[in-house]
Formats: sequence, structure tokens, C-alpha cells
Amino acid sequence: MNDDLCDTEPNPHVPSQRLKAVSRNAVIRNEASCISCGLCESLCPYGVHRRIEGHVHLLPPYEGKCIGPECAKNDFYCVNRCPTRSLSVKPNVTFTSLGDFRWTSEMILSTWKIAETGQPLPLDHPANMGRSGGGFDTLAFKIPAAKGNPDPDRFSTSIELNRRKEGPRLKIGIPVYGGGMSYGSVSLKVMTARAIVAKQWNTLTCTGEGGYPDALVPYSDHVVTQVATGLFGVKEETIQRAPMVEFKYAQGAKPGLGGHLLYEKNTPMVAKMRQAVPYTSLFSPFPFHSVYSVEDHKKHLDWIHSINPRALLSVKVSTPNDVEMVAVGSYYAGANIVHLDGGYGGTGAAPEIAKKNIAQPIEYAISKVHKFLEKEGIRGDVTLIASGGIRNAMDVAKAIALGADGVVIGTAELVAIGCVRCANCESGRGCPRGIATTDPQLEVQNETEVMVRRVSNLYNAWRLQWCDLLNRFGMDDITQLRGRTDLLRRVPEGVAQ
Amino acid sequence: MIGYTKELIGSREWMMDCALPKWLKSEEAEGGCGVVGLTSTVPVEGKHFFEALAQMHNRGNGKGGGIAAVGLMPEQMGVSREVLDSHYLIQVAYIRPEVREELENEHIKSNFLIHKSIQVDESKDPGLLARLEVRPPTVVRYFCRARPEVLEAFIKEKGLQGLERARAEDEFVNQSSFRINHKYYATSNMAAFVMSQGRNMLIMKIVGYAEDVIRYYRMEEFRANIWIGHQRYPTKGKVWHPGGAHPFMGLDEALVHNGDFANYYAVSEYLAQRNVTPLFLTDTEVSVLLFDLLNRTYRYPLEYILEALAPTTERDFHQLSPEKQALYHAIQSTHMHASPDGPWFFIIARNCHYDGEMQLIGITDTSMLRPQVFAVVEGDMRVALVASEKQAIDATLTSLSQQYPSVPKRADVYWNARGGSHTDGGAFIFNLRPDGKGLKLTVTNKFGAEVSTNVSQWDQKADLELATPTPNMTPGAWARRLAITDAEPVFQEIVATIPKMSVNDVQGLLSDIASSASLGPSEMKRSIDLLTLLIDRRYPTGPYRRSRLVTLYEETLNRILRSIPVVQERKGGRYARVDVRHRAGIVVPADGQEVLAIDCRDFPMEGDEGPSFAIVEGVRNGWKNFIMFDAHGQRFFGCGIGSNSKGVRIDAYGTPGDYLASGLDGAEIVIHGNGQDQLGQILGSGKLVVHGDVGQTFMYGAKGGEVFIMGNAAGRPLINAVGRPRVLINGTCLDYLAESFMAGDPLNGGGFVILNGMKIDAAGVPVELPAPYPGGNLFSLASGGAIYIRDPHQMVGEDQLNGGRISKLTASDWDLILPYLQENERLFSLKVGDLLTVEGQVKEPDQVYRKVEAVPVATAANKVALNDDESAGD
Repeated sequence: MNDDLCDTEPNPHVPSQRLKAVSRNAVIRNEASCISCGLCESLCPYGVHRRIEGHVHLLPPYEGKCIGPECAKNDFYCVNRCPTRSLSVKPNVTFTSLGDFRWTSEMILSTWKIAETGQPLPLDHPANMGRSGGGFDTLAFKIPAAKGNPDPDRFSTSIELNRRKEGPRLKIGIPVYGGGMSYGSVSLKVMTARAIVAKQWNTLTCTGEGGYPDALVPYSDHVVTQVATGLFGVKEETIQRAPMVEFKYAQGAKPGLGGHLLYEKNTPMVAKMRQAVPYTSLFSPFPFHSVYSVEDHKKHLDWIHSINPRALLSVKVSTPNDVEMVAVGSYYAGANIVHLDGGYGGTGAAPEIAKKNIAQPIEYAISKVHKFLEKEGIRGDVTLIASGGIRNAMDVAKAIALGADGVVIGTAELVAIGCVRCANCESGRGCPRGIATTDPQLEVQNETEVMVRRVSNLYNAWRLQWCDLLNRFGMDDITQLRGRTDLLRRVPEGVAQ
Repeated sequence: MIGYTKELIGSREWMMDCALPKWLKSEEAEGGCGVVGLTSTVPVEGKHFFEALAQMHNRGNGKGGGIAAVGLMPEQMGVSREVLDSHYLIQVAYIRPEVREELENEHIKSNFLIHKSIQVDESKDPGLLARLEVRPPTVVRYFCRARPEVLEAFIKEKGLQGLERARAEDEFVNQSSFRINHKYYATSNMAAFVMSQGRNMLIMKIVGYAEDVIRYYRMEEFRANIWIGHQRYPTKGKVWHPGGAHPFMGLDEALVHNGDFANYYAVSEYLAQRNVTPLFLTDTEVSVLLFDLLNRTYRYPLEYILEALAPTTERDFHQLSPEKQALYHAIQSTHMHASPDGPWFFIIARNCHYDGEMQLIGITDTSMLRPQVFAVVEGDMRVALVASEKQAIDATLTSLSQQYPSVPKRADVYWNARGGSHTDGGAFIFNLRPDGKGLKLTVTNKFGAEVSTNVSQWDQKADLELATPTPNMTPGAWARRLAITDAEPVFQEIVATIPKMSVNDVQGLLSDIASSASLGPSEMKRSIDLLTLLIDRRYPTGPYRRSRLVTLYEETLNRILRSIPVVQERKGGRYARVDVRHRAGIVVPADGQEVLAIDCRDFPMEGDEGPSFAIVEGVRNGWKNFIMFDAHGQRFFGCGIGSNSKGVRIDAYGTPGDYLASGLDGAEIVIHGNGQDQLGQILGSGKLVVHGDVGQTFMYGAKGGEVFIMGNAAGRPLINAVGRPRVLINGTCLDYLAESFMAGDPLNGGGFVILNGMKIDAAGVPVELPAPYPGGNLFSLASGGAIYIRDPHQMVGEDQLNGGRISKLTASDWDLILPYLQENERLFSLKVGDLLTVEGQVKEPDQVYRKVEAVPVATAANKVALNDDESAGD
């Protein structure tokens, strides 16, 4: 049923490189005063404390099962009942310091977990929702009860990217592909790992606007070449080897703004890739200076087509109020894919004021464009892709239910690799986790092989989650979910937990 | 406010009650479009627009086309000259003809004395009807005047006694049309609308391509002094309607628009405060309403109107005289809110009834974000044109030349306007005014200064005679010279004798060049080389205008190249040919074959069947040399031939289109004429030579290459170029030259631009342009590279920069640029010695050239030596 997937064997045993699973609460036992009486074990209904007959000490507390200080109201609260006052329970500081309202601590941790195990989250798991009080965090599926254990092979999660009558077909195995992250914004190892995963899962990843490193050439059937406003690193050969070319007109996180790579980050290697001179500041202008109208836009697409007539053309735009006009215009100009980039995404490099104040929310834009394309009678010829803050399997499913064919992700892959969302991507020498950096001393923290396994596991877990969801809805193909807003419900205040 | 203005605005108060709900506004959007306008002292037929409009199909999508004509023929309109001049010609388009009787009774007959009403003829051509997806409306023309008693009541009711009666009648017509449009269009499902209202002018438009307007309403032989045409590219809506097509009407005026503006809402609000409201939901309608308001309500002179539309700002403002600054300041303070913001280019045709003249106006936004080109053909029949692309102009002239031999196939001059500038104001006006014998055409800029072409040969009998086809002639002296001599010395001999040549001599020369070419491959090469020199170089042309000679050279070249056997025949010899019928199956070169000549005549402009793919196919099959001939706008030459294309050379003749050499990486391309927009995007390496001008966003994002331009570059050249592009422009640029230039240190392998600010005049003499760089934002926000500007009079000032600085030329700078100036001399015969000569005196390089460079960032400069070796290490 799912022939489009190749090599989808999960890699379940990824070592927790630096991370033990982090619990919400810390349960601390003072071994010096504990007399190992075993009262706590008999009291706790959750199984936090375990005593093995014959051992001198209890086993270390199983913190993951503890419900925390709120347990104090129960008469079985171990802290109050311990005869020697050896126990204390408090929020785990590692847990509370992680994440933010959009990427909650649970979400980061469970993404790490599925990256290690390849196993899906339950559909009602709290980590499926953030606490932003908006966007995907106010939408939830009306999930029916499970109907047996679905066989994942029975479900198709693949989507066709070229829905026009002409041109080559390009089917990807999962409704997700990797967004543009340039060499410079992430390390070469990260780029390579993403490309390897894209090949494993028969999907795509994207160069971003920093050139096309040679290391990606072996995976070129799965690498999208991005043409962005600075035109850095765009050459005929990089266009000619790509199955798809992405025109980045705008970025949802900072529509109407250009980019600026400070001279310090323009190292000789970065410069070489961008065909620039090292240690000069590099600018990406906010518009394409060659495109000021839809007919310019058509000409622009025709140009890339003249360099590589086999490449699909994707037009990435942000979500202005008249985004549906942009979508229709792009279609008539020759685009195969209309890619809407909303404002929830973006790394630390996008200014907060832009992320929070420009353009309409992606969930509105998807639905608006989907319906408008239907009204125009061209929905069947366009592939609609959404991106910008799509964090987990359920976000993907929600975007599809709103009307997208598929999504593009970026940050979620980085979190799977080990990103802690500290949002300091652009500062100093770059990423403390060695992901968003080209600094050789920082980069060594990650091995390509491990990153591949983690991202591949993420995809596997996501796919199993989609299969679960499809099974409950009585569907067997992810494309059946498209536009099914009737399956969604609004969670008025979000899940403010 | 002048006495009547307040009343006039007040008289329209009722119209605001008809304003459409806000959510309905600007339902339609459109971006680019193809526009063309023509003014001629002799009225010309609509059919001459066919090719120009067909040429611009790729700027429209067949969802709206329209034309306007001003200066009509009484006999064709079926009325007397007197009626044509004095009566309003109101055209009503009936989309649903059943409303005609009611509309006529209620709105036409009751309000107007109808001199004559005519239903416009329609084509019955089944092919055309099948092609049109929406049936065009039935159009009825009414030649009429307001009923005196109705007009009287109108004046009284609206309190317009202070207004001249004729002007009050204008307003009456205007409000009457609005009433019809509101009732029959905006609020009753598009049953009918007024298509045009004005004297001695009309507008026709349909859902379809513009040339089909001419065909459908059978206007092939319809003559007018001014024409405009528009191909529309709407992007939204499944059902289109002719009311949304261009041109849009004002009283006595028609406006077409290419672009869109961001402040539609603000402009609408401004208009609403003056009781003006749109009914057709496009920003173009708002533009014409704005023009009409400034024109008829405020009665501004044209210069003021243009200033209100495209304000003079920044440095250009400060270059104006103090009086002008005060005036413009007042205009801007009052009307800035209505100034369209964003990319736009308007062409406006109007009949200035009260001034006894007709006008065609082309005006660009201040940033020149839409393509625009102006052109003039001198002659007893003087023709001036404006269009969104040069090949639309050439197509019109080629068509005209067949009927009017005095009109050459190419214009005598082409130029661009510099938006919002103190030099030309970003607008040019073609004025037609009776001068006793007929009509006199003058071309002026916004400030009223006349544009002179300095083409003096147009009244020469010899030049005109040259328009007749070359007869068959027996080979003469030139053929014998060519048999034994290289092209260059023959060229020198020809240049020396052309001024004295008779028509017969010129025709003999062309005939000799053609017949010599048929003798063998080396003779053919010599003939092609000679014609190439004759096309490329500037030299005195005696009694002949250059445009006419160049056309003849090109035609001779085309004739020679079309005699070559097609590539599939594998005939051997140096040359093989491909045309559109033989584009499939380009085979490897046969023995001795070196050059593939591609006949662009019948190739489409772009797409999988376009000629750029023929080049790619040729390169794939081992061809190294290409001649692209008879190009007329075909795009993407040199795109797709891949990296490491060193050794490939493409020579382009005619008018090759946009994006040429974009992505070039190793090959060499030479344009024997003008280049168009978006040349050399991301150019990596290789060489580009242009023997004329280049258009907008030239070399955007370029990384390298060596580029030589004989003429000017339009707006925004070399934006965002990185690496090491090395570019020499002999003319000047409109604005934003090398913004965000990031080309390192030119003295250590980085890139630079040499800007000479020169041209070679009609006599073949190098002369300085009025200023080497007239615009602002020179080298703005650049972080690397340099501009070497020939500026012996120190005209470029710090106020033209934005972040860079001007410094003195050093000896190493001169050593760096001298080889490029020498190559420039070889290519264009513009001598280094001439460049160093200022007012007859030979000067030192540092007295002639100045360097504009980036202000270095302190820490970066010290960090690493910026040289080739470092950047190569990875």
C-alpha cells in the first residue's frame, strides 16, 4: 500500500546522547536518614518507590510516575508520611526551564523521546499541543475511539507534489519535507543528515540560501535548491541537479524583511559556498529586485524552467491578507507548489516584532487559500504546502485537515537532533548544541549517523501517529484528510494546563 | 481653491451615496501587463498594432485587452469634422443588449441631443468568435451634446454658475456616465457600462487579447493619430468582464496601467474626501479618477499633475531651483496621500479640447519598478512611441514601414525615463498640435523641455529612397574587395565613404556583401564580420539615418544566414542553420561545421519550444558557436547551458529578450544591439558584451564575469552582486547602481564597475553625457567592491551615496582598470586616450577617474587578508 516509502526501518536504539529523560518532578530521598522501611512503596499508588527485598536501599525513585507537590492533599503523600522525613518532592528545574509557550517542555522532551525510540505518542498526549493560546494550540481533532491495532503498511501517507497535467511526477512518502536551512545557519553535518533522512523516507530537504554543499550531491534527487532574494550560491548546476526549485519570496517569520549575515559569520567556507568574498557582510534584500509584478514573476519562473525544465517549481510566500491572490497568481505563472509560510516558525534570527506582528496566522491562510483555489477550479492542479511552526505529527495533520496537501518543517528536525530552543542561533559563535553553527569546535558535538537516526525516528513516530489517526477516522490515505475541517474542533482557550 | 472647485466637488456629493461597500473594493488584482502607445502626425491604422500586441502576449493572459484611439477620422466615424470636434462621443457597451432601450430612454435621450448614434460593426469570423471565451459587448456610439434645458437645470441645481458653461457640460457628461455605470454595471450585475466619454476619442475593450479588440470591432483600417493598447494579466476571478479591462476612461482621456500600487485604499480615501468613488474595482480606475480630479477639478497644468502622481524626492528635489522646490513642496503637501505607491507605469492618451491639442503621456513611478521605453522616429511623418518593451515598438514600426516607407523599422532613438527626477521628471509627453499644414508632434519631458533626437537625415531624399527594396544587382567593387580583404579594413573603407554614397552605392554595397557570402564559408564569415562591424560601431552616416542603415544591415545578415543549409542536412561547410521547423533533432556538427545559426523569427518568446532550448540542445551536441538572428524578444539566451561552458560563444542580433546570460558560467555572449531587462542574473563567469543599452536589474546577484556595455543601464544594475564581477558601462545608469554590492576588495581579486558617462555621437565622436551618474543611491549599503567613475568635473557628490565614500584613484587602481579600458577600446573603438581627454586636454587618470568604495568595517579588515588564496581554502 505504501510503496513510496523506502528504507523505513526505524532505528529504535538511539543513545540519549547527553540527555536522560527529564521528569516533570524531582523526588529526592535522603539516603543518609532513610531507614528503608518500605512505607513509601506501600503508600504510593503510582509506583514511584520500589523496594526489593534483601536490598539495603530502595531503588532510586521513578520520578516519571510522580504527580508532584499537588499530591500533598492526599493522605498517602509520601513526603508527609515518611517517618524519618527523608523525602522531598519539587518541580524539576531542568523541566521547568526548558521550552516556551509554543514549544513546551513536554513537547521538546517527547520529541527527544520519539527521536530516540521511533515510537509514536498517544494521540491524546499533552505534548501534542502547546500552550500558546493560539494557532494550532486552539485546534484539536475530534478523535474517535481506537479501532484495534492498525497495521501501518495498510495506510498511505504519500502525496504527489506535481498535480499539473504536464511535467515529471514527484511523489514523496510522507506529507512532510524539510525546509530551507542554509549552510551557515546550520552545520554541514546537519544538512547532510537531513538529506540522508530525506532519501531514506523518499522525501525532500532544501538547501536554503547558502549554496549547495558538495556533500549533498549524492542525495541530489532529494535536495531542493532554493532561489532566494540574495541569489547566493545559486548556479546553473545547482538548479540543474534539483528535482524541485523553491523560490523564496518571503519568509513567514519576517515578511517584508531581508537578511543580513554579519561579516564574522562569513567564513571562507561560507563565502565559498555563496560565491562571496570572505569576511564581508552579506545582505539579502527583502524583495526580488527583478520581480515587481505577476508577469515579472512568471518570467522569473520561466527563467528557472529554461535552466532546468525537469524541475518542479515551488513558490514560497508569507501570508499577507491577500495571500489567496498570490497563490492564484503563482499557479498561473507556472508554479507546481504554493508554499505558505506562516509566522509561528523562524529561528532565533528573526526579529520578535516581525514574528509576532506581521501577516495573518497560518491556520487562517491555509483554509482561505484552499477554499479559494477550489472556487477558482484549480485546486486539483496545485499542491498547497504549509510551514511555519509545525512542530509535531498532530500539527501536520491539522494543517492537512485545514486544506494543505502537506507541510514543510525545520525546527522540529532540529529539536529531534537535540536543539533546546534557546533561541540564540544568531549570537556569538552560534549554537551551544553545535547545530546552528559552522564552528568546528561546536559542530563536533553531533555525529551525522546519530542525527540521521534521530530524525528518521521522528518521521517514523509521526507516521505511526498519522496511521493511528487515519484508522480512527476510517481512512486509509492521508490525502483523504485534506480539507476536513469538520473533524477539527476549537479549543477556546487552548490547553492551558 | 479657485471659485468653482468647491462647487464642482460639492456637485458630486450624491455620487458618494453610490460608493460600493468597502469589502467589495479592489476585488480584482493584477500585476504586470503589456502596454504600448503611439503618436503619429499622420493618422495610422489599427492593424499596425497587431504585431506589437501579439508580441506582448506573455505580459497578458488573454483575460482582458483594450485599445484607445484619439484623433479620429470624420469619414470613418460617419460625422463631420465639426461634429467630431465639438460633440461628445459617448460609447455604451451593452453586455446584456436587452437593457439598451431602457438605458437609452432614461439616460441618453432624456439628457442629450443625439446628433447620431451608430452601433459598432462586429466581426463574424467564426475562428475569432471561438477564440473569445466571453462574448464582447455590443457597443453603441452616441455623438451628442447635453440638452440645453437639462444642462441649465443641472448648473442651477449644483450651483455651478461660476463654472464656464462648456466645463459644466463636461461635468454633466461625467456624472451622467457615472449614473449609468452605477445603475447598469455596479448594481445590476454588469448589464451595460459607459466604455468611453470624450471628444474625438474612444476606448474599446474586451475579455481577450487586445489585438482581438481591433479584429472584433473591425478596426483594422480604422485610423487615428494616437493609439494605446493594453494586454491585461488579472490574477483572480473565474469570470472576467470587459469593464475591468483597460483602458479606463476619464472625460476626454484614457489611461492604461502596468503594475499595481500598495496604497489603493489610501488613494480611494483621498478621492472619497473629494466625492469621487470607483465602480469598477481596480486600481487603474482609481488612477484615472485621480488624474481626472487633478486635471478637471483642480485644473492643474500637466506638470503639476505629474508631480502629484510621482513626487520629486531626495536628492533630485534638492537639485531643483528654489522656486520649483517651493511649488513642488506645496503640491506634495496637498496631494502626497494620493500619490500611488509601488510599481506602476501609466500611459495616458487625452484630447486637450480646450487647448486644441492631443497628448500621449508616459509616466513611471519614482523607483522605475516597471519596464518602460520611449522612442521617436523623425520624418514628415513623425512618430513617437512608448511601451513596456522595446520589441513592441519595433513590431509597430516594422508594420508601419510597410505602408509608410518613410518610417524606418527601428526608431531613431530609444530612451528610458528616470522616475521622479529633476532631469526629466520620469515622464515624457507627445504633443500633437495643428501647425497650419497639419499636425506637429513635439516630445517634451515633465518640465516642458523639448526632447531633440539630433537626427537630421530624415528630410534627405536619399534616406527615403533607401526604404525601397534593394534591387538585384550584379556584383560590384565591394564584392571584389571582400574577396581578398578582411572585414576590418573593408569596414574602415566603407565608413570613410558612406557619407558620400548614393542610394545606388549603398544598395550595391549590401548586394555585394550578400553575394560575396554565397561564394564559400570564409567569404561568408567575412561578410558576417563586416555586417557585424557595420551594425555595432558608431560612425557618420551622411544623408542616411543610422536606424535605417542598421535595419538594412540586419536584413542583409538575415538573408545571408537564411541561405545556410539546415543542420539536419549535414552539408559540411562552416555554418549550419536551425529554424523553428528544424528545432527538433539538432545533430552533432558535420566535419568542418563550427557555427550554428538559429533563425529566431518564428520561435516563441519562451517555454519549451523557445530558442534558448535550441542552444542547450546545440551545446549538448558539441556546438560551440551560435548566431541567434532576427530575435525579437525571445528570452533566456544562454540559460541552461550549464556550468563550465567556457569555449561557447553566442552572438545575438536583433532584439534578444529578458534574462539573457542569466546563470552564465564560462561562455561568452555578444549582443549586437540593445539588451533588455534582467540580463546576467547570478552571472558566474564568462563574458558578456552589449553593443547597446541594457534594461532593468542588470546583473542582479551576479558573482563574477567580465561585462562590457556600450550604452546605458536602466534602473538597479548590479544589485546584490557578490564575488568578483567586473563590469564596464560606457554610458550611465538611472539609479541604485550596485546597491548592496559585496564584491570584496577590487585590488585583491574583488569586483568593480567602471562607469564612463560617455556616448559616441552620430558623428562617431565620443562625448560626455550631461552627468556621469545623475541619480541617487549610488553604491548604497555596499560592503565591498568599488565603482570607478569617470568624473573629471567632480559632479558626483557624497549626497548621491548612501554609506560609501569617494576617494582618489591610486596607481594600483589605474593598473587594475586599464586592461578593461583597453578591451573596451578594442570592442567599441572608444579609445582610452579619448577617455582621458577632458575639454581637449589629456589628463592624468586620477584627474579623470574617481573611486567610490565601501567604508571598511574596522575588525573585518584586520581579520583576514582578503585575497583569492584565502577564499579558495576550505
